[in-house]
Amino acid sequence: MQKYSVFSLVKNAFTNHQDWEVAWKDPEPKKEYDVIIIGGGGHGLATAYYLAKEHGITNVAILEKGWIGGGNVGRNTTILRSNYMFDSNAHFYEFGMKLWETLSQELNYNVMYSPRGIINLAHSDAQMNAYARRGNSMRLNGIDAILLGRDEIKQMIPFADFSENCRFPIHGGLMQPRGGTARHDAVAWGYARQADSMGVDIIQNCEVTGFDVNNGKIEGVQTSRGSIKTKKVGLCVAGSTTLLADMLNMRLPIEAHVLQACVSEPVKPLLHQVVTFGAGHFYCSQSDKGEMVMGGDLDGYNSYAQRGNMPMIQHVLTGGLAVFPNFSRLKMLRTWGGIMDMSMDGSPIIDKTHIGGVYLNCGWCYGGFKATPSSGWVFAHTIAHDKVHELNSDFNLERFHTGKIIDEKGVGPKPWIG
Amino acid sequence: MLEIKCPYCGKRSQNEFSYGGDATVKRPMLGEEISTEDWDNFVYFRDNPRGKHTELWHHVSGCRQWFKASRDTATHEIFDTCKMNEAFNE
Amino acid sequence: MSNAYRTKNSTGLINKNKKINFSFNGHTYHGYEGDTLASALISNGIHLIGRSFKYHRPRGFLGVGVEEPNAMVQLHEGNKSEPNIIATEVELVEGLKAKSQNCWPSVQFDIGEVNNLLNRFFPAGFYYKTFMWPKSFWMKIYEPFIRKAAGMGVAPLQPDPDRYEHNYEHCDVLVVGSGPSGLASALAAAKNGARVILAEDKANFGGSLLTDEVTIGNMSGKEWANDTVAQLKSLPNVILKKRSQVFGYYDHNMTVMIERVSDHQENPSKYTPRQRLHYIRAGEVIVSTGSIERPISFGNNDRPGILLASAAKEYMTVYETLVGKKPIIFTNNDTAYSTALEFLKNDITPVILDTRNNSNGELVKEVKQKGVNIRFNSGIADTKGHLKIKSAVIGELDKDKENFTSLESIDCDCICMSGGWTPTVHLSSQAGNKLKFNEEIDAFVPDKKRQRESAVGAANGSFTLNQSLAEGFQVGFDLSNKFTDNNIETNTPNSKEPKYEKHERLWCMPLPQGKKPKRFIDFQNDVAVSDVELAIREGFRSIEHVKRYTTLGMAGDQGKTSNLNGLQYVSNIEKKIVPEVGHTTFRPPYTPVTIGAIVGREVGNHYLPTRKSPIHNWHEEKNAVFVAAGLWQRPRYYPKESENMNDAVNREAANVRKNVGICDVTTLGKIDIKGPDAPEFLNRVYTNAWLKLPVGKARYGVMLREDGMVFDDGTTSRLSENHFHMTTTTAQAANVLSHLEYYLQVVWPELDVNVLSTTEQWSGIAVAGPKSRELLSKLFPNIDLSNEGLPFMGLVDTNIDGIFARIYRISFSGELAYEVNVESNFGLHMWKRIMDEGKAFNIEPYGTEALSTLRIEMGHVAGAELDGRAVPFDVGLNGMVSKKKDFIGKRSLSKEAFSSEDRQTIVGLVPLDKRTKIPEGSHIVENDKVASPVPKLGHVSSSCWSVEYNNPFSIAIIKDGKNKIGKNLFAVSPLKDISIPVEVVSSHYVDPDGERVRS
Repeated sequence: MQKYSVFSLVKNAFTNHQDWEVAWKDPEPKKEYDVIIIGGGGHGLATAYYLAKEHGITNVAILEKGWIGGGNVGRNTTILRSNYMFDSNAHFYEFGMKLWETLSQELNYNVMYSPRGIINLAHSDAQMNAYARRGNSMRLNGIDAILLGRDEIKQMIPFADFSENCRFPIHGGLMQPRGGTARHDAVAWGYARQADSMGVDIIQNCEVTGFDVNNGKIEGVQTSRGSIKTKKVGLCVAGSTTLLADMLNMRLPIEAHVLQACVSEPVKPLLHQVVTFGAGHFYCSQSDKGEMVMGGDLDGYNSYAQRGNMPMIQHVLTGGLAVFPNFSRLKMLRTWGGIMDMSMDGSPIIDKTHIGGVYLNCGWCYGGFKATPSSGWVFAHTIAHDKVHELNSDFNLERFHTGKIIDEKGVGPKPWIG
Repeated sequence: MLEIKCPYCGKRSQNEFSYGGDATVKRPMLGEEISTEDWDNFVYFRDNPRGKHTELWHHVSGCRQWFKASRDTATHEIFDTCKMNEAFNE
Repeated sequence: MSNAYRTKNSTGLINKNKKINFSFNGHTYHGYEGDTLASALISNGIHLIGRSFKYHRPRGFLGVGVEEPNAMVQLHEGNKSEPNIIATEVELVEGLKAKSQNCWPSVQFDIGEVNNLLNRFFPAGFYYKTFMWPKSFWMKIYEPFIRKAAGMGVAPLQPDPDRYEHNYEHCDVLVVGSGPSGLASALAAAKNGARVILAEDKANFGGSLLTDEVTIGNMSGKEWANDTVAQLKSLPNVILKKRSQVFGYYDHNMTVMIERVSDHQENPSKYTPRQRLHYIRAGEVIVSTGSIERPISFGNNDRPGILLASAAKEYMTVYETLVGKKPIIFTNNDTAYSTALEFLKNDITPVILDTRNNSNGELVKEVKQKGVNIRFNSGIADTKGHLKIKSAVIGELDKDKENFTSLESIDCDCICMSGGWTPTVHLSSQAGNKLKFNEEIDAFVPDKKRQRESAVGAANGSFTLNQSLAEGFQVGFDLSNKFTDNNIETNTPNSKEPKYEKHERLWCMPLPQGKKPKRFIDFQNDVAVSDVELAIREGFRSIEHVKRYTTLGMAGDQGKTSNLNGLQYVSNIEKKIVPEVGHTTFRPPYTPVTIGAIVGREVGNHYLPTRKSPIHNWHEEKNAVFVAAGLWQRPRYYPKESENMNDAVNREAANVRKNVGICDVTTLGKIDIKGPDAPEFLNRVYTNAWLKLPVGKARYGVMLREDGMVFDDGTTSRLSENHFHMTTTTAQAANVLSHLEYYLQVVWPELDVNVLSTTEQWSGIAVAGPKSRELLSKLFPNIDLSNEGLPFMGLVDTNIDGIFARIYRISFSGELAYEVNVESNFGLHMWKRIMDEGKAFNIEPYGTEALSTLRIEMGHVAGAELDGRAVPFDVGLNGMVSKKKDFIGKRSLSKEAFSSEDRQTIVGLVPLDKRTKIPEGSHIVENDKVASPVPKLGHVSSSCWSVEYNNPFSIAIIKDGKNKIGKNLFAVSPLKDISIPVEVVSSHYVDPDGERVRS
């Protein structure tokens, strides 16, 4: 594989960039693989990469029905954080943060990990207390967190609404300084390129249409490009999980919902952190291109459409102007939607299933992007050893029967309630 | 913005309604002896089809009636709505 | 120089009698009424407007309207400053100030242009391949450097002073675009009686009729357009909207339109909104949005002075402006010849280059007849001119049109190019229409519709006037017939237009031999042919990958002039036909929309409604500090003179314990419940028993969700046999009502019960403290308020001053207490009466903070404990859970995890030093000295200063709480660097047996 560096860039500049190799090949599917990963999104690509790198399993195929990186990994608002209250989430996402920190070097692909800090704004003492609870939990778990007062926030985002006229004045906030953003497409492409170089077959335009299960064990998959044998299948198809699970007669505590996001036109940088509004549904960061990347809440009804409707955009931007009244004269450039795998407690499922050799990676709700490295890492471990890793041991399917649910939001099994 | 036909009030815009999820989930009878698994299925497990979905809506900023809608989750087209004690015209 | 570039004839829409002054980059110029900023600048000879995003290349105008990718300016100053405004869309108003953006120190000399010199090092996606070493440099050096280069214009830092409004409309037929097909549809539908809205993005109706020389009936195109608009205006069932762009097509035929109301006005009145957002629910939508001309890629095809031929023509015909005096026209089709003819009318003879071997179209013939030499089989290889086009390197093409056979340089001051036309299918595609590729015109057109949407005219790929009119009249009539029974059909008038010959499938010129000038496809984002080649070479073969890797079509213009050329080029390289390559998704909005307009009036203090109790003004007069409780404003405390919050709260709380206090509890949710099955219903909703509650009695109840978590709590009283009054927490009031309605209507429709919110009908006043009975007895001398007459959890109806009042003996403070409810309108009166009477008993109002203190001391749980994750067992409410009956959520409580020793349950905490208040949100640990991750036992949910014992007290939820009572642990807040040794005690700190409330 070609190594990317400033030197290779300069060298290729003098040959008019004619000598760059493909980032990944476009192979025909083989008859059989040791492991098949369904879904060429961030999690699927990362899983294949860690299977090859950490476990030496390279006879792996990733089956993608469209083009790789076209699902949620290419549709999110690129936020990275591990500011979770519950231990299971905190340890898992913090493990991920450590992987993010060296990911560009590890993949030899600049994923533009940018730990610029994420601030959750608080608008009442009660909210400050709730954030203190979360922040203290983070600190006790060894995760960075600081509590900010109104004046400190004002120094960071002076253009936020600190006026008399403000409906929900900013009291302060919780900040995770290491939180930040990364370039979403680069994550998918970086994992794809490395996985490919270690022998993983990335097969695009290959839709899975059925499973061959015999005696409770997986034997192969049917696809739009023929049947392929395998003894292990990992599902990484957030947004379409239950459609595939239906083919396996598995019912899951998951609903599909559309989450919209939008960007403004690019402007010169003024927002240097990721900021979430505490009195409405709005969060925002400014990309390296200058666009304000904004998101909020689900449209609020089951949906498989990768597009949403105007009321939620209006609702989110209304929250946006409540925090940043100066954004009013910016223009919204583009909106889009992604399908969220909404689990019934807001936490993911990474587990074995009742079918031998079938593994499940789903239920990412809004949070899948930041989990890409850690999810791939633990899922690869789970598939390779046929055994969950300690980091994903709480993300089991059983919890909906045992009662050990991990409900960060506290609203119960109604994913559309924000 | 969806346009939803409340079976009591007629067509109204979506912002008058709130969503209530899968309408095929049936709550066990009070005092009914059922397995833990069946109970958990009721609490946590849902139909999640791509296509026709039978679901609940609540005309919360209107007549405050709950009703059923048959809607396509891929296109958002609403085929029909009906009162709780009625069946769709299909 | 001033206005030196105006046409000879005044046949356009410019009013030369009205001069308008404006400034650009600090220089003052003038234009005329009817000008856009673009036409005014061009008429003053100015083409250099700004710099491109990546390479900072000098850029001018490509287009004349929404398609413009280059000519973006920063408009206005201060809090009205606006970035990234395309000059072609700005109508000129007196005093307008504009300046170039993305350049420093000036647009003529821009340091950033060094990027252009180094552009060979910055191919598509270069940033993915470098800036990785050393690791720490990304955050410290590289990214700050890249961010410096980010963005185009500058965001204002102050709030927007302007006003934006929303409007909701319904119509039978919405017609989007007022070109020939749009006017025809609108007229046909309107004359047939349908309610029609006609929306036109530009300042004038007419579309291509304003620029094309055609005849309709016995009128010129322009006259016919004016006549049709006049007819439409005279019809009562038509709304005509100009400066109004339908930018989004959503589900269920909901479209959204943005209207520019006052930007073009010199002195708009104060309450005129700047823009108005219209939500239009249309029965049918006719998409008559026309088409946009395609550019051609050739070496350095981005210099100022290189424009679309149609833009050059519109500048001449509508804005009476010459884009140059030494033009080259470069085309692969016939339409550009109409631009040539316009030049000829101004005595300017253009050089014409046509990639085709010949054409005998009518316009071509006309040009030939005028003796103009047309160079067929020719193209442009490269251009020169740093800040403005000066010359072009042109030549003949070989047989395969893959190379130039000869090259020569000719001088020019503008190039007008035409690569044919792309139907504007955005709205159809947004509506869910699966587009198909039309090989005749080499573009995508609408095909199978999913919603009630019909494309007509050029937007449908029908490029002739005849077709456009015929489709417009037919579709307008057909669709209107769905809404009316009139059956009035309008005849399609005859029309005359030039006949065109076919375009050539050639949109990218070969490179001049031995040279590699950039051939741009996407101008704003600086995406060139070589970038697309690189993407494919590196395996980014899906069109979506090409788009993301090269950023093609992702700039402010969203690829209006570049998408089709991009995928055409991909199809050339991949040797696939265009439909196999497919197209990227069209997403709303069609053009960028001002965020303020999307939000409308819900800004500042109007972000969300503010709810105030009827007693609010009294609190305000008494200097109350308010706190938000959801949408409500509640008095938090009432400071006296120099008191701080702690002092005030302690005083208020202590006065309740000692004398009597008064608290406004109007915000509590209240639900009226009636019907023969009401007791049974409550029995199912609450965890405890309700069937035997006597009339005239209240009871505390806890309700769960089906997953077993506590949902809400409150007291509910039985007013008569089948009539109950439920109270909920302030926060959950609306959710509880929906919850009850759900169970009554969906789950148990057999129950005969009705529920109704009465939150706003009642004003609630809590009177609490040992002297409360004495006080109320004075106010209500006719009723027996003794412990026997009105025992704890009793209620009584009475009157005062002719007002109905209901007195509940309930207590949240844990003291002897009453809650007086009167109709809301009399809330203030009742409050004042109690205050007056209470003076003798040292009554003082208390706010939510003192209320918290009182309930925390008593160990009563509230929102901080009932956070949606607690089962009754966790918060000491097991006693409330009936073992005998079933109720909502009961089955879930039997889960082992919900009663295990691991479960965190409620306790009290007292700091060992009896002085240090424990911050809420602290965690409880056994050992505060171990390294992370530190095992956590639980957290502190609520803290107060106990006025009873004069020391701090907290409620905490900790692992195996019951068995920890008596132990010493640590409350730690690493955020505040605090560790406090604490003793675990019962959560019922004051009056654990509840004697006071029953006294």
